[in-house]
Amino acid sequence: MDALLNGFSIVLTGENLMYCFIGAFLGTVVGILPGLGPLTTIAILLPITFKMDVTSAIIMLSGIYYGVAYGGTVTSVLMRIPGEASSVVTCLDGYEMARKGRAGSALFIAAVGSFVAGTLGVIAISFLSPPLAKMVLAFGPSEYAMMMLAGLSMVTYMSGGSLPRALLMAAFGLLLGTIGLDPMNMTPRLTFDILTLADGVNLVPLAIGLFGLSEVLFMARREESEMKILIPPKGMAAFLPTAEEARRSVAPVARGTVLGFLVGLLPGGGAVIASFLSYAVERKLSRHPEEFGKGAVEGLAGPEAANNAGTTGAFVPLLCMGIPANAITALLLGAFMIHGVAPGPQILERSPEVFWGVVASMYIGNIMLLVLNLPLIGLFVKILDIPRVYLTPMILLVCLIGVFSNSGNPADVVVAVIFGFVGYYLRRHGFDLGIVILAYVLGPIFERSVRQALSISDGDPMIFLHSKLSIGFALAAAVILIAGLWPKRAGVPKG
Amino acid sequence: MAHDADQRAAVAAPGKTRAGQGTRLATLALLATALVGLWQAWGLERWAIDGPGAGLWPMIVASVCVALAVVVLIWPGPAGATEEGDTDAIDTRELARTRSTFNLYCLALIVLAVGAAYGGFVLTSLAVSILLVRFAEGRSWGAAVLYGVGAALIGLVCFAWLLRVDLPTGPIERAFLSLVR
Repeated sequence: MDALLNGFSIVLTGENLMYCFIGAFLGTVVGILPGLGPLTTIAILLPITFKMDVTSAIIMLSGIYYGVAYGGTVTSVLMRIPGEASSVVTCLDGYEMARKGRAGSALFIAAVGSFVAGTLGVIAISFLSPPLAKMVLAFGPSEYAMMMLAGLSMVTYMSGGSLPRALLMAAFGLLLGTIGLDPMNMTPRLTFDILTLADGVNLVPLAIGLFGLSEVLFMARREESEMKILIPPKGMAAFLPTAEEARRSVAPVARGTVLGFLVGLLPGGGAVIASFLSYAVERKLSRHPEEFGKGAVEGLAGPEAANNAGTTGAFVPLLCMGIPANAITALLLGAFMIHGVAPGPQILERSPEVFWGVVASMYIGNIMLLVLNLPLIGLFVKILDIPRVYLTPMILLVCLIGVFSNSGNPADVVVAVIFGFVGYYLRRHGFDLGIVILAYVLGPIFERSVRQALSISDGDPMIFLHSKLSIGFALAAAVILIAGLWPKRAGVPKG
Repeated sequence: MAHDADQRAAVAAPGKTRAGQGTRLATLALLATALVGLWQAWGLERWAIDGPGAGLWPMIVASVCVALAVVVLIWPGPAGATEEGDTDAIDTRELARTRSTFNLYCLALIVLAVGAAYGGFVLTSLAVSILLVRFAEGRSWGAAVLYGVGAALIGLVCFAWLLRVDLPTGPIERAFLSLVR
């Protein structure tokens, strides 16, 4: 507790508060604007921090990282463009809420849910970091592989449609993830000798194509009289959630926070898995599963909380073990190293002021983000007043900037357009696209774990059942898949 | 609703309705993709001297994908519920009425891809704006050109120049950036 209070004394200086605000503000802006992802922004700002104090530098860079999670929600809810993979789930029910005139409410719930999850996540970091870091060490390659299998099974089971269809989408996502150079020995795979495919299918064109561009095609199919695709909220009251919406959000936010934080601890796409799992759990627990995908509040609140708690949780392996959970935390790890601080088990002894300063800055940063975001909701939803004739070209150009700036490669725009058509056709025929993205993101981690485990065992597949943890995950996957074949499906139209 | 009835019928007798046929076609396309993946993975090394080779994982995944596609072809089952909201708007009457608008939007996507490779951001913005605002939505030429020029300017000034975001580059972008940088 004393250490945390010491952290606050470090953050609550004019200079560090300013850096915290700059980070949170930049993160929000970057989350909304196309083209500037958190990775690019942190990479651009990294050289600027060289002459700064290490704690101030990390406070600012971390602010960008968790601020993006707030900003990404805005485009997901209002335009169905996921800024990042963890925002994909927000598109499903957040956008449907916006279509029903509840955009303000959706953004409010997302902002408050994110704040609660982010703050509780920081409290958990404050008190549970050392034991949690030890827990994460219990995960070897085989446990990871089985956990990925169980996670994918769970999400496909909860998708609502037929299990084989959902599994097919997962397999399709995994297959897309294998395109490009083999990460271990650089052998080209499924590239058809096309040089541009050597880098594989990038996440940004895939997500923007499947969600953003396919949505534009859906907009084109709506009635001419329905020129306003999304209904803007009427009056100030419509910007706030109703009592019913607030009541229905509480438990999903609480569950999403716990789930998100725990999954976020695990290196590799924690926030993404967390948001999908939270969606699946909320759908399972809901008294109105039929509302999911049509604007269910639980389908927005849970994943948003999980996403932010996962982002916060990812700091535990970074700070306590020196293991980056994703590309952005890898860059933050680089920032630590540049400043001569080695994150790891000894950070609490060697550089407590950095550790507790960063943790304390997250409390302050989350409050700043809430204060920053709530008044802006009214401004954001003004986008909904734009008629289709002007909104759709804007979305297309935003997608173009977002995709092209990600790699500077025009081939990525072609990929996005192809997936726009693919996404449109698959969505029209009831295939869940969210599963494709999840499987695509998890695919490389899943593959690496499987190959590492098989290398260790010299090809003996029994390694996947060598520990209680991996047996537990394997059993869970088997039970989920068998249960999925039971004719219960919530998605079956009645009558 | 015609669409609801269509969906119910698709579940009851998959493949016999228009929706069922569409599902079957989509599944066939996925099956073809998986078979191509399997064919490609077949030629890769499955086991190397130091452990699993580059082809092991793609082969497993492609095989599973083929098997699942066959299962879905035989038993399509109900549509994924998380996307039901998206399909609500699809109606055959609307489809006929909005077919030309839809085709123009498809064309706009193709223009986006071609423009990014050859035209640069400014020309692409103009082309997409004219295609959608003038032709797809039937607004005036003036509104379409004004919108296109405005979007191009915002892209050039705010993103390319001030934020230094990479935009598709053509002769106009090169000329502009050489002036301001």
